[in-house]
Amino acid sequence: MAMLFGFGNLIYIIVLLTNAIAILSEDRFLARIGWSNTVQQPGFGQQVGGDASIKHKLINLMTSVRTLMRIPLILINTVIILYELFFG
Amino acid sequence: MQRTGYGNPPPATSPPLHHPVPQHISAVPQLRSPPPPAPQIQHQAGYGNPYQSHPPPQGSFGAYGNFMSDPTAQMGFQVGQTALKHGTEYLEQNVNRYVNISAIKHYFNVSNSYVVNKLFLVLFPWRHKPWSRKQSTGPNGQEGWYLPPRDDLNSPDMYIPLMGFVTYILLSAMVAGLRGEFQPEIFGWTASAAFVMVAVELLLLKLGCYLLSISNDSQLLDLIAYSGYKFVGAIVTIVLSEILNGGKGTGGWIGWTIFTYTFMANALFLLRSLKYVLLPENPSDERGTMQTVARSQKMQRTYFLAGYSYVVQLVLMWYLTRV
Repeated sequence: MAMLFGFGNLIYIIVLLTNAIAILSEDRFLARIGWSNTVQQPGFGQQVGGDASIKHKLINLMTSVRTLMRIPLILINTVIILYELFFG
Repeated sequence: MQRTGYGNPPPATSPPLHHPVPQHISAVPQLRSPPPPAPQIQHQAGYGNPYQSHPPPQGSFGAYGNFMSDPTAQMGFQVGQTALKHGTEYLEQNVNRYVNISAIKHYFNVSNSYVVNKLFLVLFPWRHKPWSRKQSTGPNGQEGWYLPPRDDLNSPDMYIPLMGFVTYILLSAMVAGLRGEFQPEIFGWTASAAFVMVAVELLLLKLGCYLLSISNDSQLLDLIAYSGYKFVGAIVTIVLSEILNGGKGTGGWIGWTIFTYTFMANALFLLRSLKYVLLPENPSDERGTMQTVARSQKMQRTYFLAGYSYVVQLVLMWYLTRV
């Protein structure tokens, strides 16, 4: 049975996914496809207060990840790179 | 012996009695070991100069024999016990801050009949009728907390998932052993693979709950409990197909039939059981203009629930049964 998963792989997957979220540029990429976090004007028929839509939640999550995880990600990536250099 | 020894002078009631204790030290070992006096002295001299001491085995044996009755050692024991007690209290306080112990104890409050009935229910969920959890009625008549698994068949527990997890690991090692390819590392591999699988599943569930803004109290523990019931189906599949296939693994049409049956049973069980977690009845959502929004949201949640209990479980159980 080929072991697809393991603790190490889980950590790698999570770190890589977090990197992938954090690397997305707000100005160059997300604003073009309309996923920027700027406050949008509520259009006709759109509800104003409760931003319960999945897209809005995703945008919020990505913004929070980018804000919160920037400095920890640098540390984690450095540690993993050093580990791979010496023991990988 | 040592228990009565430090039980006799209670330190809390008579503090001044602490003073005679050091004088007591030298008296007791000398009295207790009269036969080898010379090695005792030599050993005591050895305490002063540890580098030159070559104590004969007799002397060291006598010293160790007196070790338990030595009041200094007993004081040491007492100090150690007090430290251990305080350490345990400290640990409990700090663990309680992150993990609610009493909430977890609720999930292990099972009885024998509950476990048997629940296993039967996981494997044969077709004819089971009321799937809602019972709530205990408070003394004032209002609805209180959920009943523990001992009293309610539909309540999630963590005993069956935990035992299923352990059994799955042992079983996969045993199957590997029957094929003659057992290595001790199989335990670690299987355990980490199964654990990571459950972790990924929980992460997906939490992400889905966040995106669909489903919130429910005691939700995470319920989800952990429910994510472990698929081990029951996986174990049954592995055992039956190993027996019926004659040890050729979980392939063939027999293995796939058993797998399909256990998967369907587990999926229906999860679909019915998780309904109260993932599709909570919010009467506050039902006001006027929010009706359409609530309806579309309910549709999304229903799709999420069905996708979790059929698609995700299919992948995970397939992965589990490939021993």
